[in-house]
Amino acid sequence: MLFNNLKIAWRTLVKNKFFSVLNILGLAIGMACFLLIALYVTDELSYDRFHKKADRIYRINSDILFGGNSMSLAVTSDMMGSTIKKDYPEVEEFTRVYNSNGSRLVKKGNDFLQELGVAYADSTFFDIFSYEPVAGDLHTALNEPNTVVISESAAMKYFSSLDVVGKNLETDDNNGTIYKVTAVIRDMPKRSHFRFDFIFSMDNLNYGFGDFLSHNFATFLLLKPGSSAASLEKKFPEYVNRYIFPMLQQTMQVKTIADLEKSGSKLEYSLMPLTDIHLHSARVAELGINSDIRYVYIFLAVAVFILLIACINFMNLSTARSANRAREVGIRKVLGTTYHTLIRQFLTESTLISFLSLLIAIVIAALVLPLFNDIAGKEISLANFFQPLFLVSMLALPFVIGLLAGTYPAFFLSSFKPITVLKGKLSGGAKKSNLRSTLVVLQFSMAIILIVGTIVVYRQLAYIQQKKLGFSKEQVMVINNTQVMGDGTRAFKNELLRLPGVKAVSSGGYLPVAGSSRNDNTFSKEAVMDMKNGFNMQVWGVDENYIPLLGMEIKQGRNFSKEFVSDSMAIIINETTADMLGYDDPVGKKIYKSQSNSQAEMLAYTIIGVVKNFHFESLKQKIGPLCMRLRNADWSIAVKMDATNVQNLVKQVEQKYAAHAAGFPFGYSFLDASFNNMYKAESKAGKLAFSFAVLAILIACLGLFGLAAYMAEQRNKEIGVRKVLGASVNQIMVLLSMDFLKLVAISACLAFPLSWIVMNKWLEDFAFRINIGWWVFLVAGLLAALIALVTVGFQALKAALNNPVKSIRTE
Amino acid sequence: MIKISNLEKIYRTEDVETVALNKLSFEVKDGEFVAVMGPSGCGKSTLLNILGLLDDPDSGSFLFNGIEVAGFNERKRADLRKRNIGFVFQSFNLIDELTVFENVELPLIYTGVKAAERKKIVEDVLDKMVIMHRRNHYPQQLSGGQQQRVAVARAVVNNPKLILADEPTGNLDSSNGNEVMQLLTDLNEQGTTIVMVTHSEHDARYSHRIIRMLDGQTVMQDLMV
Ligand SMILES: Nc1ncnc2c1ncn2[C@@H]1O[C@H](COP(=O)(O)OP(=O)(O)OP(=O)(O)O)[C@@H](O)[C@H]1O
Ligand SMILES: [Mg+2]
Repeated sequence: MLFNNLKIAWRTLVKNKFFSVLNILGLAIGMACFLLIALYVTDELSYDRFHKKADRIYRINSDILFGGNSMSLAVTSDMMGSTIKKDYPEVEEFTRVYNSNGSRLVKKGNDFLQELGVAYADSTFFDIFSYEPVAGDLHTALNEPNTVVISESAAMKYFSSLDVVGKNLETDDNNGTIYKVTAVIRDMPKRSHFRFDFIFSMDNLNYGFGDFLSHNFATFLLLKPGSSAASLEKKFPEYVNRYIFPMLQQTMQVKTIADLEKSGSKLEYSLMPLTDIHLHSARVAELGINSDIRYVYIFLAVAVFILLIACINFMNLSTARSANRAREVGIRKVLGTTYHTLIRQFLTESTLISFLSLLIAIVIAALVLPLFNDIAGKEISLANFFQPLFLVSMLALPFVIGLLAGTYPAFFLSSFKPITVLKGKLSGGAKKSNLRSTLVVLQFSMAIILIVGTIVVYRQLAYIQQKKLGFSKEQVMVINNTQVMGDGTRAFKNELLRLPGVKAVSSGGYLPVAGSSRNDNTFSKEAVMDMKNGFNMQVWGVDENYIPLLGMEIKQGRNFSKEFVSDSMAIIINETTADMLGYDDPVGKKIYKSQSNSQAEMLAYTIIGVVKNFHFESLKQKIGPLCMRLRNADWSIAVKMDATNVQNLVKQVEQKYAAHAAGFPFGYSFLDASFNNMYKAESKAGKLAFSFAVLAILIACLGLFGLAAYMAEQRNKEIGVRKVLGASVNQIMVLLSMDFLKLVAISACLAFPLSWIVMNKWLEDFAFRINIGWWVFLVAGLLAALIALVTVGFQALKAALNNPVKSIRTE
Repeated sequence: MIKISNLEKIYRTEDVETVALNKLSFEVKDGEFVAVMGPSGCGKSTLLNILGLLDDPDSGSFLFNGIEVAGFNERKRADLRKRNIGFVFQSFNLIDELTVFENVELPLIYTGVKAAERKKIVEDVLDKMVIMHRRNHYPQQLSGGQQQRVAVARAVVNNPKLILADEPTGNLDSSNGNEVMQLLTDLNEQGTTIVMVTHSEHDARYSHRIIRMLDGQTVMQDLMV
């Protein structure tokens, strides 16, 4: 029976090649998209799940609101982990990770190499997290100072061997520290929110431990089985009361917690499950770049969209073709076939089609996987197709799609009454169908939403590119690791200035792109700090060349100058700070900062200038208060170039660098590239939205093409009659296209408000953003109409050019 | 009105060549009612299609109102056709999706008559064909005779000088058939030239003259009295 069904289904496929190809191709492209997105989503959802105790591991998050500035941190104080463990028995263990902005120099032979995946961790690190040991005992590996656990890759890189336990590694911290390798682990899995190659003993970290107020450590808690994170979280205010508030009482003039909260300040801690971090955490001081759950949702929606569009094609083409198959159904019924048998026959057919589509989809997905990886920034391999769970779901797909797409046509076709059908009279349903129109409207609504989405994303990205940032990011080269030169930086800078093609040189420790150093501190407007006049602000060390080099504009007052000795206590503020202070003319006024150790003695800085606001974080953030001081920040050096041969200039700079920092790695970047890096996720999303919009439209067009061909065929005789009566080719074209254009118009009406809402939601993320102009919708609508017109037009023209004599032959 | 001489039409398919019209010549005067008869496949429909400017002859001359139209391009033929010629087919060829009124209105739309005027003309014609009460019905809801009356109404709505009818009674019973023949006779009496293809000697008797064809040629022309 099944075999017989299959045989007939196959023959039907072969007989209707045109429609079969359209159906299979559409479904295959849809399924390929679905497969890729499914791989992407499973990949995203699987982060950090490889840890055996993953469901019991939580990270402490800190939310600080102070002096009008709020900060959401992925780190907490060095004391919190141990204190919480001591006070609350539900905590089984804690570990702290300190990641000194990712970079450390490690010596190989006579040269230092820059290593990015480095961290300091407590010895409990390996008791909480599960890593596969290659050599050594992870449980005790970090128990002593001067120990390090390294990855397989690092072992091969530095020793060309995995058998390295007991060997020494020298790093640049504290002017050269020797570490003993105590264990080697397999490289940390890619699906991990942090990945390190070197984990140093926490004992070697040069840090003022014992400070409840400085937040610098990613702290993970392992809860005892069965204990609740939510109830532990509820006890955190207790911790604030007991340990932190007494210290605040000293520095700030507050008496009670209520006072603190009334003044708008807040200190809140919370727990985040380890497995949530990758998709739900975008805080300051993350251990790596996290993703965003919203993109997962968006892609899931897109996958479902595209699959639906493909299914709709199938339904539309099948029901449209039903007129041709009505006779077959009629004859079968007359011969005694039951309704159920017919339905089974049609479902076999749709499942066969989806199965063939799946085969092609797998091939397509495999072929475009590298491209997809590139756009999505993933390293998904073909092997992922063959994970058991994925394989099973993949094989289930044709049945689901077969049912989804095949059920309606099956019932529709099977319900034809044999007598009417055989008499040649077909109910109007076979020719015109509201359902079919509805489905086309659905397809085009989804396509239009994707078009609008693509346009908006690209417009926002373009806006970011051309937005006046308050500084010039072009032709600025940033040289890193210059701190190793010590006093040599001065000479190095002078030598750079003499190179042809170099226009200016300044210190570049603090730069207005994400990933550059940051330093914030508490200041007050008055000499005595209290809750009202205290505020947090970025303090950047710059030299007198910094502002002109970056093309920043002094709005009031003046830049730093070598001629003024007093400039050591001078300060330049940005407009945000000036507004906050509220002076008519801030130049000459003083602001105060407590000295690190004693809060009694305040340092007074004189404002000498106001720099026009510039964006020093991503455009997602507002421009916060910032000031600059004349201070040496020469661990990076900025070079303004005016060079046509950049490569050559870089080579010359490298030679100069080598002369001053022999054995150290020469690292450099360009400011505009670092800037663009901040919007990687968005540009990735833009590219993906674009690709999927194109595919969605392509699939929808395949369906439309088939439908138009079918409609033209159905209306062949009508067209003939109309031509006999004097209709011109144009009139026939309009007649045939109008029907479809109407549907596109309805789709537009549905899609516009929806896409407006969705895209505004997306834009809300940016403090600085475009308005979605009406023209975006106009363009999207016209584009959809144009595409529909071209698709339908071909069929319409073919029909309109037909000789009417042929179509109205009476025989 | 019509003068054809040495008209030839050959259908070529991959392996066979069918001579549908073989050096056919005859004339139809203004106001005449001519019946064309002959066995199946002798080329009657082919002839009618050429007379109706739907198709082009391969050779020969076709004077329509004194103008040589053989070799006219599609656009010119369509223009001439929609102003001068009405068609009635054996299978009615009404458009199922349009009402009676809309079907009859179509030729007027294509000749660019204004909507208000169209309404008047169409209602007039429907009145004349005694089908006015069915104006909002769809073709499927009508009997064969009624459908053919609608088709005739559509053929005459433009006031054509020539009506071409291809077996107009072929799908009708005798009483409905007679009704349609009566309509055509009335139109002819009002001055419309009619060329009708028929297999029925009975219907042919309504005409003034019968052209008998065999294998694409006229074999005889008998005058009726
Ligand atoms: N498009 C075509 N291609 C090939 N041959 C054709 C075509 N149309 C008609 N013929 C052939 O030309 C000849 C004349 O056909 P035509 O339709 O004019 O006959 P007819 O006299 O109208 O016949 P009937 O009385 O059955 O309607 C026939 O042999 C037919 O097979
Ligand atoms: Mg015929």
